[in-house]
Amino acid sequence: MPEQAIKDKTAIVGIGWTAFSRNSGVTTLTLAAEASLKAIADAGLHVQDIDGVVSFYHRQPEGQMVRELVRALGLKKCNFEFYSDGGGGWNCGAVLSGAMLVHAGICKKVLVFKARNRYSQGRAARAERANDVKGDAQFTTPFGIHHAAASFGPIATAHMARYGTTTLDFAHVAVTERSHAALNKKAMMRKPITIEDHQNSRWIIYPFRLLDCCQESDGGVALVITSSERARDTKHAPVYIMSGMGGQGQTAGLWETNGANSAPLLYEGAGITAKDVSIAEIYDPFTFMCMTHIEDFGLVKKGEIGPWVTAGYNRLDGSLPVNTHGGLMSEAHIHGLNHVIEAVQQLRPEGVVDDLCNGAHTYDRTTCRQVRNPEIALVCGECGESAVLLRRA
Amino acid sequence: MADYLKPLPIADLDSQQFWTRCKAHELSAQRCGDCGKFRWPPQAFCPHCYSWKFDWTKVGETGTVTSFVVVHYVSIPAFQEDVPYVVAHITLDGTDQQITMISNVIDCSWEEVRVGMPVRVVFDDVTADVTLAKFRPA
Repeated sequence: MPEQAIKDKTAIVGIGWTAFSRNSGVTTLTLAAEASLKAIADAGLHVQDIDGVVSFYHRQPEGQMVRELVRALGLKKCNFEFYSDGGGGWNCGAVLSGAMLVHAGICKKVLVFKARNRYSQGRAARAERANDVKGDAQFTTPFGIHHAAASFGPIATAHMARYGTTTLDFAHVAVTERSHAALNKKAMMRKPITIEDHQNSRWIIYPFRLLDCCQESDGGVALVITSSERARDTKHAPVYIMSGMGGQGQTAGLWETNGANSAPLLYEGAGITAKDVSIAEIYDPFTFMCMTHIEDFGLVKKGEIGPWVTAGYNRLDGSLPVNTHGGLMSEAHIHGLNHVIEAVQQLRPEGVVDDLCNGAHTYDRTTCRQVRNPEIALVCGECGESAVLLRRA
Repeated sequence: MADYLKPLPIADLDSQQFWTRCKAHELSAQRCGDCGKFRWPPQAFCPHCYSWKFDWTKVGETGTVTSFVVVHYVSIPAFQEDVPYVVAHITLDGTDQQITMISNVIDCSWEEVRVGMPVRVVFDDVTADVTLAKFRPA
């Protein structure tokens, strides 16, 4: 498999985000606009420079629609709009879509965003969806599957049966991600938790306890993609998009996700191997899903993720820091586009701007969440249905 | 039975046969008229050889739990009476591993359910019109 034609041809040059909360008190359009205007300003661009807009949703539009934002921003000329149904699998698919639009010469500067009031308005939406009994849902809903934990739980149970992974292993992911969020000013859950807290938390849907489940959030994030050539003139050092993929496939069994299909294409497309990855921002709706994604992208041998997270290799000073912002679990659930934002922050020369450091990064883990000199970041979406490799300038 | 409050399946043109046969207490699935492979869920063409020929066939009433969850927290209040309840992936015997249905494992405590556990179908006539195929330890 050759390197992808798009390799290093495009870059992320601007990032922005709103406050993350349980009640934004504003519309998703306001959230989307705030994050977008911040990302455009961060890139040193004018709003009218944007000529492409991309976002994504899960099953039914539950976030801010693309066309409304284009209208609200008053874009005089938008060459391409794209709103995909890939859900949490599509955070990196959205980024890659923007990169492809630029690389294809259709757009010069593409805005990628996600905005949602998923905590304050999500309960009603979920209740409605819980009663869906058409199509594939006719074979699940009547039997009592109405929650993501019930849809993804079987992947964990199968992995436990096959490899001996335990719910105690899951606890280490929850605790480590929370410790990262403690160093993230915008994270919604920053109070430290212990292994005991995890093990004592109530069952939601076995094998997931309360502290295995991510939160729901209100908030928005956005980023701007342009060509690597044009990126030289923007305000911040660019973060290059090395390679990407997006789509579904079949795997050997429930214990393995589509990451196993996409990882070879992704690494070969970038001309690197899994060993070259410095940090990973991994889709983590449940602790275990983060674990299987780490394995399926070849970062840890299949079946060995339990001891690996227990040893703490995923911590900020570990061999492969994972979810340095706290992930969906502890930062916020902005459908994983917040994972891309974190990767960009980590890969910029100045590093993250919202930890507890005053001035230069100290690498003191009571205040600093910047990883030491990361070069390449892997970001992935749900079940590895999309992923990108990013590298610093 | 008039007060059954849980959501009921809405059959479509692909799945109508399955639900009709369930009501007659027969577990069934489509089998390709060309390559002979089973498939699930119901659809008009074979995902293996893309033939449009198929027959509805009675399938074996036993299977194996290939994975499961135990629901302690419900989103639909009508299910609260069943908590904790098991929802399992059940691969049916005699289908070359081609059919894995999602259903409840009933008549045992959730602590007893294991991956690899043999189960047998039990038909639950939840309303006058709808029967759900559930499973119990074999």
